Amino acid sequence: MKQSIALFAAAALATGSVLAEDKIVIKGSDTLGAKMVPQLAEAYKAAGNEVSFEIAAEGSSTAFTNLLAGTGDIGMSSRNIKDSEVEKFTADGMEIKDWTAAYDMIGVIVNENSGVSTLTLEQVEGIFTGDITDWSEVGGQAGPISVYTRNTSSGTYKSFQELGMNKRDYGSDTQKMAGNEQIAEEVAKNANGIGYVGLAYTDKEGIKPVLVDGVELKPKNAEEYPIARSLHYYTIVGKISPAAEKFLTWATTTKEAGEVVDRVGFIPAN
Amino acid sequence: MSQSDPSSTPSADSKIRGGQFRKKGFTVFGLDLQDFIRFFFSGNASLAIVILVLICVFLAREALLFFPDHHQGLKAYRKSGQEFVDFVGDEVNDFTILYSNANVAYYAELNQTSLEQDNLLAAYRAVQSLVKNETSRVRDRLEDHLDDLEDVVDDLEEAEEDLAKLDPAVDGEKIAELKKEISELNAEKQQLEPVIAELRPELRKASETILNNSLTWKFDDASLKLSEEQREKFREAVLRDEPDAQGDHPYVAELKKISAGKKAAAAEQLVDFKATVTALRDAAKPLKSLHSKLKRVASEAKRESEKFDTAPGRRAALLEGAAKTSDPEEKARKIKMAEAVMIKEPDFATLTQPLYAAIPEHKAIAEKMRTEVAALVKQLPEKASTQGARERLKHARKAERTFDSTVSASLKKMDKWNHDKRYSVIGSVTAFIFGKDWVTNSSWHDFYGLLPLFTGSLMISIIALVVAVPFAVSAAIYVNQLAPVHEQNLVKPAIEFIEAIPSVVLGFFGIFVLGTMLRNVSQVEWLSWVPGFPMSERLTILNAGLLLAFMAVPTIFTLAEDALNNVPGAFSENSLALGASKLQTVLQVVFPTAMSGIIAAALLGFGRIIGETMVVLLVAGNKIKIPDFSEGLGVIAQPAHTMTGIIAQELGEVDNGSLHWRALFMVGMVLFFISLAVNYGAQKILIRFQKV
Repeated sequence: MKQSIALFAAAALATGSVLAEDKIVIKGSDTLGAKMVPQLAEAYKAAGNEVSFEIAAEGSSTAFTNLLAGTGDIGMSSRNIKDSEVEKFTADGMEIKDWTAAYDMIGVIVNENSGVSTLTLEQVEGIFTGDITDWSEVGGQAGPISVYTRNTSSGTYKSFQELGMNKRDYGSDTQKMAGNEQIAEEVAKNANGIGYVGLAYTDKEGIKPVLVDGVELKPKNAEEYPIARSLHYYTIVGKISPAAEKFLTWATTTKEAGEVVDRVGFIPAN
Repeated sequence: MSQSDPSSTPSADSKIRGGQFRKKGFTVFGLDLQDFIRFFFSGNASLAIVILVLICVFLAREALLFFPDHHQGLKAYRKSGQEFVDFVGDEVNDFTILYSNANVAYYAELNQTSLEQDNLLAAYRAVQSLVKNETSRVRDRLEDHLDDLEDVVDDLEEAEEDLAKLDPAVDGEKIAELKKEISELNAEKQQLEPVIAELRPELRKASETILNNSLTWKFDDASLKLSEEQREKFREAVLRDEPDAQGDHPYVAELKKISAGKKAAAAEQLVDFKATVTALRDAAKPLKSLHSKLKRVASEAKRESEKFDTAPGRRAALLEGAAKTSDPEEKARKIKMAEAVMIKEPDFATLTQPLYAAIPEHKAIAEKMRTEVAALVKQLPEKASTQGARERLKHARKAERTFDSTVSASLKKMDKWNHDKRYSVIGSVTAFIFGKDWVTNSSWHDFYGLLPLFTGSLMISIIALVVAVPFAVSAAIYVNQLAPVHEQNLVKPAIEFIEAIPSVVLGFFGIFVLGTMLRNVSQVEWLSWVPGFPMSERLTILNAGLLLAFMAVPTIFTLAEDALNNVPGAFSENSLALGASKLQTVLQVVFPTAMSGIIAAALLGFGRIIGETMVVLLVAGNKIKIPDFSEGLGVIAQPAHTMTGIIAQELGEVDNGSLHWRALFMVGMVLFFISLAVNYGAQKILIRFQKV
């Protein structure tokens, strides 16, 4: 299981004086935690804020378990919080706050040598649910379609099901990969492969995103592109440290933060 | 036993135990240092046992609690009417298989006519991307420069436009500024142009080198059987492809045009076929819309049922939260919310009423559809020009029969169905052990069926054993019986060293080296008779099986070698004395005698393989489906998921104590029992044959 853990250790003991820096612990989604949040953290520190960060990206579900256990200040999630999760917070007398971090578009990718470059949303649904099994049915050269998806712990797995598959279940022929990178890697190596990855991963070598319903996968098309979703930060009302609140306000509202978000391939929320 | 109990035998025994060498040292409560050391060791041993028992109890408890929960889930599945809707779902699925086969057959026929052009185009795309990737350094530089040039030219145009708009009488200063800018831009342009002019031939040369040395292209070239003229054009099309090239090369455009033209002509020929396929799709529309209508009804009932199941929990949560808040207003609000939580069982009879009401409607639709589909399938062409289409048509006809019997079965099941019927506890056990679906995190219903995972694990293990046992056993025989000492000293540690390789490293090797290699080899034309070749996947049962075989070799080798060692020397000495050759002795005396040990070694190797996690998680391809055995031995080229892999993949994200979590524990229990049985079996075999 790929766990990209980015650790930003604090140089707390500077020049001998014991100056305790504020530390912000952020946990959750791989989609946010792999690139966007670490880079935001860097930019935030570069902007002269004296804080240190600890970032662990192990899947959206871990955002809530960590918030609940008090082992994280901020949870990152690529899906909305589930009712069952809200309930656990209520049980502990806590209320959760949702910050929109950015918008993401999920790109449907195929091998760059594939003759197919455009699909309708209905065809995407058919392919991922297993109704369509051969490339010739969607205008390509004959060959069995190999479908690569994220595994069930991923927020993207669920988001794609809701946005791209009409909430239907994945076909039993789909192969569950651990992360965006693995999907891109397998699709790049398999001429009959198809998969989905976040916008930030679509410029990998050997793959190309297809047009969905005729809309190209470009940030400026976020409105029309059918498979787009919002990414979230979650915090606990009243328990958030001032440092964390300041960081989130900066990350979700300022222009500099927006530029970072844009650079890693997401669409800024503001 | 009382002798070994130190507390009850304080002095009398200790004299004997200590013997005459025992020194009289310090004693506490009549216990001396040796007794304490003994306590320490026996304490450690019993602690290990206690921990083992605790682990087993914890595992067993979590695992066994799965069945009541699973039973509950299946009851909800029935009560909410999802079971009923899935009867219709089965019909729809079987029809989809039929339709898909007919549709693919049509396209196979259609594409047949333009196959030559399409293959050329595919080869063009492949070679083009290969050349692009290999020349990316020069290409990127050229692209950057071209982009810069474009920017400069744009700025230049803009500046000139601005200049034209300005009135020389008024904006003298600005004009001077613009003129300066223009001259600067022109200078820049003049700098860029020669660089670009230099880079273009450089790129072309690099591309040519790649093209001349590319094996892919050589394979394609050989299989496409191009004429000299065509090849020249093809090469030219690939080489022309500079970053700023507009549109397609005329040759490629021509190919595309021919292909489209041929397809259009073929479509005219196949217009009846197409009409049949379209009619098939239309025939299913009423059933499909009924299915989605009923699905909504059942989903609603399921939501109600879930609400009811979680209501006590929600209420308790709110009350607990209220107790923890100090703010009286907040407290009152939470208590009020808690009281508002409904704890009344929803009336499933009313909720599922629309389902019962739909039975006659479904019957009418299904009967009509089945006759229509049967008639349409008869209309499908008997003969097809391509092998692919013929096979697909055969599948479509077979699928029609399956669909027909599914409809009959569903009609019967629906008549008998009752949302209130008891769900037997045994049913929940068999649904786990023989269930064909493992669907989790579903928006419809989660299924926990072991069979796909079990078959995956089993297939991989069998392949691993088939490969590993001959290698390991022959190596053991050679090393133990035939090899000279210096070879023994080299081979034995080398094989045992394999065990030291971390399995995650082997997994990476499997993905990037073995997987790619297997696929490349499988695509060689004269090997296409091998079952499963050519493989389209890198991550397959075969790949995982081979890696696991590699991992199992040291285990089997070491144990088999031990078994050969245990054969009494007198056996072979007698055999040799009677005039048998060394080889005869080894194969007919030593090997049969050690057979029991070798079988035990293979069994223990199997135990090692089936419990391995990292390699199968990375390499097996993680497809949760029972492999399709209709391909015969070719089944090994398919991906699969395993029992160990699913635990590793899904345990991290599930809620503690949820049904899904317990299902994973249950899978763990099954693995545990398999290992136990294998080890027990191995021991039994050893003991049994030793007595003989």
